[in-house]
Amino acid sequence: MGLIKNIKSYSEDIQISAEKREILTSFLSNGFPTTKDEEWKYTSLKKVIANEYSIENKGEIIDSSIIEKYSLGLKNKIIFSDGKLINTPIIKGVNINDFSEFESANTDSILQLNKALSQNGFTISVDKNTVLESPIEILFFSTTVNGFSQYRNQISIGENSEVKFIERLQNLNNSASFVNHFTQINCAKNTKVEYNKIQNNTAESQLIDTMNVYQEQDSTCNINTLIFGGSFIRNNLNFEQNGSNCESNMNGVSILNNNQLADNHTFVDHKSAHCRSNEMYKGVYLDNSKGVFNGKIMVRPDAQKIDAFQSNNNLLLSDTSSIDSKPQLEIYADDVKCSHGCTIGQLDDDALFYMRSRGIGIEEAKAVLTYAFASEAIENISVEQVKTLAKKLLAKKLNVDLDFSL
Amino acid sequence: MLQIKELKAGIEGNQILKGINLEVKAGEIHAIMGPNGSGKSTLSAVIAGKEEYEVEGGTISFDGKNLLELDPEERAHNGIFLSFQYPVEIPGISVSNFIKTSITEKRKAQGLQTLPTKDLLKMMREKMELLSIKKGYLSRNMNEGFSGGEKKRNEIFQMAMLEPKLAILDETDSGLDIDALRIVANGVNKLRTGDNATIVITHYQRLLDYIVPDFVHVLHNGRIIKSGGKELALELEEKGYDWITKEADKKWA
Repeated sequence: MGLIKNIKSYSEDIQISAEKREILTSFLSNGFPTTKDEEWKYTSLKKVIANEYSIENKGEIIDSSIIEKYSLGLKNKIIFSDGKLINTPIIKGVNINDFSEFESANTDSILQLNKALSQNGFTISVDKNTVLESPIEILFFSTTVNGFSQYRNQISIGENSEVKFIERLQNLNNSASFVNHFTQINCAKNTKVEYNKIQNNTAESQLIDTMNVYQEQDSTCNINTLIFGGSFIRNNLNFEQNGSNCESNMNGVSILNNNQLADNHTFVDHKSAHCRSNEMYKGVYLDNSKGVFNGKIMVRPDAQKIDAFQSNNNLLLSDTSSIDSKPQLEIYADDVKCSHGCTIGQLDDDALFYMRSRGIGIEEAKAVLTYAFASEAIENISVEQVKTLAKKLLAKKLNVDLDFSL
Repeated sequence: MLQIKELKAGIEGNQILKGINLEVKAGEIHAIMGPNGSGKSTLSAVIAGKEEYEVEGGTISFDGKNLLELDPEERAHNGIFLSFQYPVEIPGISVSNFIKTSITEKRKAQGLQTLPTKDLLKMMREKMELLSIKKGYLSRNMNEGFSGGEKKRNEIFQMAMLEPKLAILDETDSGLDIDALRIVANGVNKLRTGDNATIVITHYQRLLDYIVPDFVHVLHNGRIIKSGGKELALELEEKGYDWITKEADKKWA
């Protein structure tokens, strides 16, 4: 029963290389991580993998009205349907192709599974000296009931280039879909990359998203993770800085209700001197929702003059919501600035009274304060459409009519 | 307009107000003075509806309504405004958005249509001029990084925008230099009509040089121990509080 069995029977009938078969065998003998695994201590996959899944490979045509509904209306759209690439834009200086094989540091069994069986995803390579004005929007649609899909994506940014991305995974039915998503980004010298993840899938959707970012000198990479919808979300976001003057920025906002779980695991590996990293994760938890944050910062022995900052601030808005937050700093260089802060709290009563005394109703006041709390991380997003969507989703989730158009 | 009868209230089991009686009519300005700890801020918080305070007895009626049954936001919709002694910082919300939300909510409660943004901005500009507020202020986050004077001016700006029937100014003069005090007082005076009323809560007589009260009340140990005209404030400035508080202490001992 369950996903392991589904994977077994699927893999019996397919042709894969001996190397992949070996990786798969290793995965099948180890299985998915359990809460005994340090990296999965607070997040259990038990329920997720107990479900039955059908492994996706259909590729239905998606109606243009559906695309419109979930798109931010940007002209450059990459669209997938059940694993199949169904639309690629033509952009000068950017080569966009279907899935291709690439090597990755496979450290956990989830990435092993991805490596062994994934045959879907995009391959983007951006030429040198290419500055894109319009962001690239990437939409992954799923139409399969209880579909299990695995994407394996690669982005290479050529020297001196600047690109922004917006990614959205969308289940088009209400079933318990599950995506094992992996993206690797290579940032060459002097590049600027922003990648926005809109995680607002249907109520039963499940996701494990792993992203490995490799940075060369003078590069800046910003990853923004906006979590609103889905029953289970685990993000593994890993940065490796391999040159001086790199900057890695992470902004995260989670607004969870019902029985949602969202786990953000981040890892910044400072391997070179004179680099910076900055992470700000904000979480708002209602009902029975649960958050996990684990932020690891490693400063290698020769990585002097590192400036690393991490913050994780949480609002628990119900008695039954929870957050497990863990900073992990490993510093082996002596001339560095590293700091971290974590807060867990409720809305400020004085601020609530202040707003109510101005005629703002209690629900509206709570929403405004919650918005204010989360907005710091949203404000760092440079794509206006993403910012606006984030604000709208926040207002919707808090069930209020907020108008920030002034 | 406002009638307070035998009001007793406290916090965490400590009775602070021990029987307040006060009547404020439309068009009047009342000053409430008193030494520290006399219950001045408690009185303003109870009128505005701060929930930490428990009302143990007495009544407050406002335009014939039982104020004590209303939530703080409902009191605001009915025309009560409290200028806070310590205005709260709200990072992430601009002054303009805060005021827009506030006015929209008030109009909604009154069954009025949302004010078009254009009209709202026009109104904001007019009121900013009235209070000598500089441009760029509207896009700053609510009270965040504001100086003491800026915070107080922001309170009066909100008052100007919300046009309350009864404004309670809780220690509005504290933290203001003399120029800011003059501007704020001038703003309050300009907003005066025959239909609204103001309660000025203050420690010092200074503010009352600019906002001239019709009545002055001395609050001490949770009771109004003396009421009079504006000359009472001058007398207090000259003689201090001792001469009346001692007498009152004897009476209530």
